[in-house]
Amino acid sequence: MIYLQLLWSFTKIGFTSFGGISMIPLILDEMSSHGWMTAAEISDIVAIAEMTPGPLGLNCATFAGIRVAGILGAVAANLGVLMPTFTICAAAAFFFEKFHSSPVLKRIMVGVRPVGLGLVTAVIINLILSNYYTDGSVEWICVAIGALACVLLIKFKVSIPKIIAIAAALGIIFFR
Amino acid sequence: MSPLQLFLVFFKIGIFTFGGGWSIVAQMQNEFADSKKLLTQEDLLDIVSLGRSLPGTMAGNVAWLFGFRQAGVIGGIAALLGVTTPPLLILAVITVFYSAAKTNVYFAAAMKGVRATVAPIIFSALLRLWKSAFPKPLCYAIYAGAAALSFFLKISAVYLILAGVVIGLFFGGDAKAKAGEGGKEGGR
Repeated sequence: MIYLQLLWSFTKIGFTSFGGISMIPLILDEMSSHGWMTAAEISDIVAIAEMTPGPLGLNCATFAGIRVAGILGAVAANLGVLMPTFTICAAAAFFFEKFHSSPVLKRIMVGVRPVGLGLVTAVIINLILSNYYTDGSVEWICVAIGALACVLLIKFKVSIPKIIAIAAALGIIFFR
Repeated sequence: MSPLQLFLVFFKIGIFTFGGGWSIVAQMQNEFADSKKLLTQEDLLDIVSLGRSLPGTMAGNVAWLFGFRQAGVIGGIAALLGVTTPPLLILAVITVFYSAAKTNVYFAAAMKGVRATVAPIIFSALLRLWKSAFPKPLCYAIYAGAAALSFFLKISAVYLILAGVVIGLFFGGDAKAKAGEGGKEGGR
């Protein structure tokens, strides 16, 4: 049954990946072995997934699911990608809350928190490189939109939905 | 928070989580740490580090971790459904109008503008998380090491977090207990 196949394929993808771009080779494997999507479609969906809200894995699941078996297929594929959250993350959440105030966990988190911050920093640098610098040249309009967003966010505490709406409007004005 | 509230707030967050799971951090700061005081910056950094290092999608994991803390398993499910439903609906529409969306100049132009804000959004989150991570001088070294290994060598977040666990276990003791406590905006 097609829904179960989708669920199982995307469960495998969910468990063997840790989000974002790391999912792509697995998605490519699963999709081409079933003949569900071509490599070209996958690179399109990666581009679309980057433009739309939501995790890449879920967006791929939705796209492939709908193409293969309609909206229910999309739901089945999404559930597959979320399976690690229902199981491993749920268990981790349980233990994390249970030992929340344990001195050992407190010690551990002293080492983990700076790593978390380091990961955020690396992500920001990667995003700066990919969003402001394309084909060997700096995209100054993007830099200006980014600088404006920084000022609005940090100085004026403008909310994120408003920032996104403003940036979309500016994008249409300058890039259309 | 009740499961229904969790669903609704995460639904809103799900609409605006562009560019991967990290921008969810800035939104959770706005929704939970600033106005409602449900979360300190330290708690948020813990949830995010944990969510990132577990298998599956980061935004989903983070939503579950927060929802579970607020309202148990039902809360976890509510938050998870909330954050995943908007992308499902939006992408369903885009998939149906796939070829039109792919070539629509207005859509592409608007999204190019939006992408330019993803780094600033995450950066604003970083500024506010900053103070919660450095109770000891050693933490600055861990931070710099993790950032460099992740950026230059593309070492997986999982291994880096595990390294953080080990370092914390051995050297994380006798940090000043109140370290950080969710530093207010702060001028960094």
